Amino acid sequence: MTPIIETTELTKSYDGFFAVSDLNLHIPQGVVYGFLGPNGAGKSTTMKMLLGLTRPTSGSFTIDGMQYPKERLPILKKVASLIEAPAFYGNLTGEENLEIIRRILDLPRSAVSEALEITGLSPYKGRTVKKYSLGMKQRLGLAQALIGKPPILLLDEPTNGLDPAGIHEIRELIRSLPQRYACTVLVCSHLLAEVERMAGWVGILNHGRLLFEGTLEQLREDAAAQGYPTDNLEDTFLALINQDNQRGGR
Amino acid sequence: MSFLSLLHIELLKLRRSKIGFILLAAAFFLWLPATFNVQIYFDRTELGIPPEQNFFIQGFLGLSWFMFPASMVICTVLLMQLERGERGLFKMLSLPVNAAKLCLAKFFILLALAVFMLLFSAAAYCASAALIGANRQYPFVLPLSYVLSRAGILLLAALPMLTFFWLLSVCIPSPLFSAGIGLFSIVPAVLAMNTKIWYLYPMCYPFYIMTAEYGRLADGISTWQVSPFPLLPVAILFSAACLTISCLRFGKSETN
Amino acid sequence: MALALEWRKIRRTGIWPAFIGGSLLAAAVPVINMAFRWENYVGQESSPLSVLLLANWPVMAMFNLFLVLAGACALYHLEYADGAIGHMRALPLWEGGLFFGKLSLIAFLCLPALAVEAAAVAFCSAHWFGHTDLLSLLQSFGFSFVMLLPSLLCSLLAAEIFKNIWTALGVGVICIFMAGMLPEKGLLFSLFPFSLPLRIWTQLSAESARCLLEAAAVESGLLAAAELLLLKIRRWFL
Repeated sequence: MTPIIETTELTKSYDGFFAVSDLNLHIPQGVVYGFLGPNGAGKSTTMKMLLGLTRPTSGSFTIDGMQYPKERLPILKKVASLIEAPAFYGNLTGEENLEIIRRILDLPRSAVSEALEITGLSPYKGRTVKKYSLGMKQRLGLAQALIGKPPILLLDEPTNGLDPAGIHEIRELIRSLPQRYACTVLVCSHLLAEVERMAGWVGILNHGRLLFEGTLEQLREDAAAQGYPTDNLEDTFLALINQDNQRGGR
Repeated sequence: MSFLSLLHIELLKLRRSKIGFILLAAAFFLWLPATFNVQIYFDRTELGIPPEQNFFIQGFLGLSWFMFPASMVICTVLLMQLERGERGLFKMLSLPVNAAKLCLAKFFILLALAVFMLLFSAAAYCASAALIGANRQYPFVLPLSYVLSRAGILLLAALPMLTFFWLLSVCIPSPLFSAGIGLFSIVPAVLAMNTKIWYLYPMCYPFYIMTAEYGRLADGISTWQVSPFPLLPVAILFSAACLTISCLRFGKSETN
Repeated sequence: MALALEWRKIRRTGIWPAFIGGSLLAAAVPVINMAFRWENYVGQESSPLSVLLLANWPVMAMFNLFLVLAGACALYHLEYADGAIGHMRALPLWEGGLFFGKLSLIAFLCLPALAVEAAAVAFCSAHWFGHTDLLSLLQSFGFSFVMLLPSLLCSLLAAEIFKNIWTALGVGVICIFMAGMLPEKGLLFSLFPFSLPLRIWTQLSAESARCLLEAAAVESGLLAAAELLLLKIRRWFL
């Protein structure tokens, strides 16, 4: 399968600290790819690099065959995102925030109501965002990412701040996206259980280095081969991280 | 995406920001003290300036020295805070928008706010002058073409200053520091315009030009002349440098 | 306690260096003015302090007013920007302590700022006039400190009421402009809180100076009472 997102020796360092180190990711088209790692592993930094929001120290990446930084704007036309926390204009309503993105992406008017509908925000579309609850802000962040059915979605902790019913709803939505919109989804999380329910592919990151990349089945097989517990993927993940931490982590 | 569409988007972002009220209040309070003390313009005849001209020019001196620059500093704070407050700029930078184009579009919104401020001030002048005229049975309102032309000159003179304020707000992420430096840069304008090299301090251009106008109307105030050289080359270079650096630095603090 | 707490909050914000930087700029006004135009001022009949303050204080006072306004807005912006104020209000603290802590902090920061400005005036007096009347200088700057307090309280009230920093700044800027434009004559106009810092001690009779000091004290008391009232009113609307 040809990767739609491919990174080559991608590295980001800040004053000698390596947030991401020689990362080689291969994300196939049309899958939900779970990007796993503990807090501070470099997941968000990787996503920011893919969006051109932070400049790689070294290495390169291609998205849908396009090279960064030469083709930054064409890349951003294909990629939608929700990074770290939802970003919006607090003085505007949810609908107005989406309207801004609709205009920038030159989408039809109906795209706003579709995005509101799909994220369950239609009843609150006229409320200013500064009055939104945490969960509603998260849904708006998702709506901002989903508007216009982008071919590639980067979602950083998309279920943050949602109640259990909301988590279930959004998880099902993300899982259905490749079929519904024929898109590729990269989901960041530090919860394997969460990713396990959404993704077919996983990449495990610790201290900026990629420890594993492949399908969930391959992860189970690899873990069994190396003597890690495989009954529960949470335990497999923790064992992998602990082992890497004991080795020095970098 | 066209520049016009970007301007439209930037205008949308101003909704519920209350900036209109602030500019309106500034324009109202600009003429309030002068309206209450209108008698002094009738008493001061030794300058050879008619009271209606004196009333207008004194107000525009206050506007060009303080109220207009200070209001523009606040507008720059508003424009950047709307972006930075809830990380709106972060979202914008992850969309297919050219950052330099976005920066220029926001600067044009600042210019639009400057035009609004001057129009509000001209309207407030007309209202207060009409009120005084009616009260004193005296033709106190100057022709609208004269008022608007002075407002236009003030806007042109303020362009380099506006690019500097914009540069401050783009390069200094803390709104208080960018506003503080902007406000502090206004105060020495009074001193700078009294030197021979006043044209090197763009924050004094509006006040200088209005004082020169006052000198033209009244006796013994100033004999300042505004000649295009070296003012124009300095102003153009200064503005171009400020705008270029702003465009290059726009969004940098959000992306690193 | 409240002052110490507020002092901790401004770590790494650059607020206190900004006060020193601002006061250095204000202090530069008389020095630069004298350096370029000393012949306009030396040889006058009035005392050196009187000449220096008359020539430079309007600009220096304007700097001080901007410092106080920006400082007040900065302190409340720190609270509002990341929602810290919500947490502060949920702690077992007297809510007024937040306001009066900030008031004490800015008043405290104004002291070195005014000292720097006084030093500049003393330098100009010694350098261009040959002597410095230290007692009058201290009295003059002490007077200016008291005159600043009502405008400080007003700025803090505006910064507390308006969450949007540009609204608080806008209100403050309009008030500072009004202070510059209002006539000095007329009791009501001269007592406008933002006009008081423009007053020059050496230009006032002892009686006028005493009246202004009393007025500043009364205004400060009234504005502090307004803050307490505001706290009560806010509770009704919670």
